[in-house]
Amino acid sequence: MARYGMVIDTRKCVGCYACRVSCQMQNELPVEESYIKFYEKETGVFPNVKNEIIPVQCQHCEDAPCVSVCPTKATYTTKEGIVLVDADKCIGCKYCMVACHYGARTQDHNTGVVEKCRFCAELVAEGKQPACVSTCISNARIFGDLDDPNSEVSKAIVKMNAQPLRPDLGKAKIYYVR
Amino acid sequence: MVWGTIIAAYLFLAGLSAGAFLTSSYAARKYPDAKIVRIVGRLISPILMGIGLLLLIVDAEAGLKDPLRFIYLFTNFSSVMTIGTYFISFFMMAAAYIALMELLKKDINKMLEYVGIVLAVATAIYTGFLIGVIGAVPLWNTAILPILFVVSAFSTGIAGTMLVSAFVDKKVIHHVISIKKFHLTLLISEVFLIFTMFLITSSTNESAAQSVSMLLSGEYSGLFWLGLVVVGLIVPIAIEALELWNAKKLHQTPAGLEVAASGSHGIAATMITESAVLAGGFILRYLLLAAAVPVIFI
Ligand code: SF4
Ligand code: SF4
Repeated sequence: MARYGMVIDTRKCVGCYACRVSCQMQNELPVEESYIKFYEKETGVFPNVKNEIIPVQCQHCEDAPCVSVCPTKATYTTKEGIVLVDADKCIGCKYCMVACHYGARTQDHNTGVVEKCRFCAELVAEGKQPACVSTCISNARIFGDLDDPNSEVSKAIVKMNAQPLRPDLGKAKIYYVR
Repeated sequence: MVWGTIIAAYLFLAGLSAGAFLTSSYAARKYPDAKIVRIVGRLISPILMGIGLLLLIVDAEAGLKDPLRFIYLFTNFSSVMTIGTYFISFFMMAAAYIALMELLKKDINKMLEYVGIVLAVATAIYTGFLIGVIGAVPLWNTAILPILFVVSAFSTGIAGTMLVSAFVDKKVIHHVISIKKFHLTLLISEVFLIFTMFLITSSTNESAAQSVSMLLSGEYSGLFWLGLVVVGLIVPIAIEALELWNAKKLHQTPAGLEVAASGSHGIAATMITESAVLAGGFILRYLLLAAAVPVIFI
């Protein structure tokens, strides 16, 4: 069984928002709602400063706090390790939003359901790449099976020593190169 | 604020309801003739909890649109909210049954009342654990929070019960001196708990430190110092202490005893104290939700 994950190379990300737009199209989101948020971080001391653009979306945590707090079991983890929301079970209590360390969830105010990045589970099931990955203009995103050491994503993690955003906050399935 | 005023009101009402239940059970044992206090506590408890649950339903937008989904609330035993749903459901049943028996003037099954007491405490603790287990918000993620919520629940429960009781019969409040002493102790503990919690969390965590400074000197400092500390704690502590002191004096002379027994002195002080405690109880929960700074992950 595959265990899906992603690498995001912030050194390549130019902050063009193409991934966000394609995600919004894939998930039929209105302009003001999105599953990918952009953060900027400046590090270093002048003149050696680095400005980093960090796209953040659901990290598909192993032992995800959103899954354990959800009272209705609307939020669950698939066999492939993708964290999904069953829109027919969600009551919109927002407990998962409060529990997520990455502020990765948004509430759809038409349905009241809380949603987030789903690793485009329906595309992945067809053997395709998530929309954000295939759209990225600078190949900053790599998606694939973390359990397969020969997958592109596993090799990239090893080669570039990619790390989760905050390993201390729990195991995530998105690895960042920074 | 992901969880806002509505959730603050829900947490407040759940605590108040549990506290009123405990107050009435205590009064029933300690002061068999202070019927009003007992009856008022027993009646307002399920009503307030019911209002709280309605608020919760209104806030859960997706469930509001499709109410059958609320059944799923009972399904995830790893979720504090599911556990709390069980506590609250059983507490509501016990409280409503006891209120009904009180209305019908029937005897109340002792065992059932004890079960109710346990469930009331569980409900009050639950409101603290609900947000206390959230690792993403360090201000909440402390062992002191559930204790603070229980103390505050009991304190608002006493206040609510005494306030309504005083409206019904102003004499009654001078008969239940030990409840007043208890109340004073709770209020003083609350001050202690709040500041201990702030001190500990803000010295160990950056986000918690931000939350605490928002409360003590930032955006919410007005509401914190004036609303919670002065109105919600200092004023009631001062009045309650004064009243207890007066009561002691009254009980020392035969004439004073008579005044106390007839309840001929005013109830203004009680009204002010109890309303202030209720306001403080709500403000406490509102502020804790409003100042919830999540862990900074970037
Ligand atoms: S990032 Fe947030 S929403 Fe995604 S799995 Fe982790 S806790 Fe859940
Ligand atoms: S908002 Fe929906 S998905 Fe989130 S915890 Fe509540 S029921 Fe679960």
